[in-house]
Amino acid sequence: MNIVVPIKQVPETSNVKMDPVTGTIIRDGVESIINPLDLYAIETAIQLKETYGGKVTALTMGPPAAEKALREAIAMGCDEGVLVSDRKFSGADTWSTAYVLVHAVKKLDDFDLIIAGERATDGDTGQVGPAMASALDIPLASYISRIDSVRADGMTVERLVEEGYETLEIDLPALLTVVKEISYPRLPTLRGKQKARNTELPVLTAEDLEVEEVYLGLKGSPTRVVKIETPKVTRGGTILKAVDEESMNDAIEELVEFLKTREMI
Amino acid sequence: MIYGKITKSIVDELVAILGEKNVILDEERMENYSHDETPADEYGHMPEVVVTPVNTLQVAEVVKLANRHRIPITPRGAGSGLSGGAIPIYGGILLSVEKMNKVIEIDYDNMMIVVETGLVTNEINGLVAERGLFFAGYPMSLETCFVGGNIAENAGGGKAVKYGVTGQYIVGMELVTPTGDVVELGGKIIKDATGYDLKRLIIGSEGTLGIVTKATIKLSPLPKAATTLLVLFEDVDTAIATVPRIIAEGGIIPTSIEFMDRLSVHTSCNYLNEHLPYQKAGSMLLLEVDGTNQKQVDEDAEVIGELCLKYGAIEVYVADNYTTRERVWSVRRNIAEAFKVYSPHQSLEDIVVPIGSIAKLMPKIETIANKYGIKIPSYGHAGDGNLHTTLVKNPDSTMEEWYEIETKAVVELFDAVHELGGKISGEHGIGSKRKKHMDRMVSPVEMEMMRAIKKALDPNNIMNPGKIFDQPN
Repeated sequence: MNIVVPIKQVPETSNVKMDPVTGTIIRDGVESIINPLDLYAIETAIQLKETYGGKVTALTMGPPAAEKALREAIAMGCDEGVLVSDRKFSGADTWSTAYVLVHAVKKLDDFDLIIAGERATDGDTGQVGPAMASALDIPLASYISRIDSVRADGMTVERLVEEGYETLEIDLPALLTVVKEISYPRLPTLRGKQKARNTELPVLTAEDLEVEEVYLGLKGSPTRVVKIETPKVTRGGTILKAVDEESMNDAIEELVEFLKTREMI
Repeated sequence: MIYGKITKSIVDELVAILGEKNVILDEERMENYSHDETPADEYGHMPEVVVTPVNTLQVAEVVKLANRHRIPITPRGAGSGLSGGAIPIYGGILLSVEKMNKVIEIDYDNMMIVVETGLVTNEINGLVAERGLFFAGYPMSLETCFVGGNIAENAGGGKAVKYGVTGQYIVGMELVTPTGDVVELGGKIIKDATGYDLKRLIIGSEGTLGIVTKATIKLSPLPKAATTLLVLFEDVDTAIATVPRIIAEGGIIPTSIEFMDRLSVHTSCNYLNEHLPYQKAGSMLLLEVDGTNQKQVDEDAEVIGELCLKYGAIEVYVADNYTTRERVWSVRRNIAEAFKVYSPHQSLEDIVVPIGSIAKLMPKIETIANKYGIKIPSYGHAGDGNLHTTLVKNPDSTMEEWYEIETKAVVELFDAVHELGGKISGEHGIGSKRKKHMDRMVSPVEMEMMRAIKKALDPNNIMNPGKIFDQPN
């Protein structure tokens, strides 16, 4: 089973600061990491490879520094990494990114499956995976929480929806986006790190991909960011104090009443 | 010990020195000062009055008053201690340095910072980070402790293997003696052979020899990169035998060498829902290296990782970015929390043994645990032999049974530590919690030396009395 995992490098957001004027992330001195939700896609792909054989290729579009993310993915157990990098790609929106990645996928060996993370923690759109499926004209199953079975020409998967779970049959080749529930990402090992360091990473440019320039980068992106605003927290919240048994019971009653008025119970 | 009581007239004197808002008599507010991080029902005690001086002069005046009226005075920092050192066990005056939290000077030429001792230690690193500096003596980033408390306990932490403990970085201090004199010890100097090194005597004296009101702290260049290895071993022996080889054979001193036994590993991983293949691990080491650039740090980590594999590690995981480093450190950080789910009643110990003896201690601890039907996980700083062995109550036993078991088990644990050439506290101090063991653990001559020093500096035994050891009347 040949699997491609598109990943993204994102700023490590737990210590991130926002520029109060522009509303954008201050990237100076902020470490770049693999999008945390992509780790679940990587883990799922590695597990499938371990069961059914084949190989896993991590694919990313980004500046040359994004090779660090590919090497981390290889250290976890991916076999290969491909970097798609060109100044012309800079500023691409989800549509343009998917356009470029799809062209990159076409340059790779035939694939059976593409597994993407649910969304990236920086842009938070969740569009690139589905857009790739659309451009490749292959079936898409998003929000996958479990892979039930795999056959030569298809698989049975479980999708997380608001009301519960759906079981889907999907033909291969296909694209899945996966949620956290699907796996526990492994940590890179020392042997994996050593392998990753010695793995050659092909770099594909706009020229290599034979893409049309009008669809690249900021200029080729149909999305326009008009304004970025920081949301204001408007919910005040109520704190019910309970210091002893009596006030505890009062607090519980008050909470129950509140939930009833909101028709939550 | 017969001490004077806090009377109306003494309160009036305190108010005259400190002003009304710095004298607290309200029971509810005083309650906060009656315990530290040791169990309050076992070790807590109410003060008669709490004072919060704002400068050294006020501290000195309060001490003079206490000395004059033979009133016990207990100095206190953030109250995050683990030995009962800041608890006013004889009542009297509780003196909190919380309002003395100013940074007096940052001296970049000398790479030093002068602060009042009520400053939250962690704030120092925030202030000097942009100049590429940090306070290496106590780099536990999750703490809320004060500089004063760190000095009183000579606090250590997870990075002592490479950076040592608080005392190494305190080059000078202002001290209010137990008789109310103000004295400067040391200064902005690295070397000092001018007579007895009294500041080193004060460091770690748990507030029994005076109140440190200012400290001059040496700063160090802030490392720019770090990599952490999480290493799984089949058993404790293999893990511990690897530690000295890393330093001797690898020629690298890691920033941290943290150790976790099987019970700690399994309980914490289970608590965190961590799916590392920990089931086969009888022990884990967490090793961190830091340095000036990522390349060097990665090379050092690789040397260490290879040595671990050579000496029998099952697997070596490499965490070189924020996400993975946080993940591996959380296993170590959550051990105490994980055991609280099992039982909130615990005795957190702080034993220290020669590194080579850790493996010998482990089976003895297991024997004690089995004998009393309790859990005793061990985890801590393998690089310096300092283990936070924790006695955890069996949830099925009553509190009376637990107190009895705790007392007996601690004695047996300390005896085992003593036999191996260890000590009963590495970084938390003796305080009131462990003082009853001192006479068994410390030689009579050494105890006599300590008592003589205390008597000479604090003739009326008013300065944090009943801590470390009791003075004869």
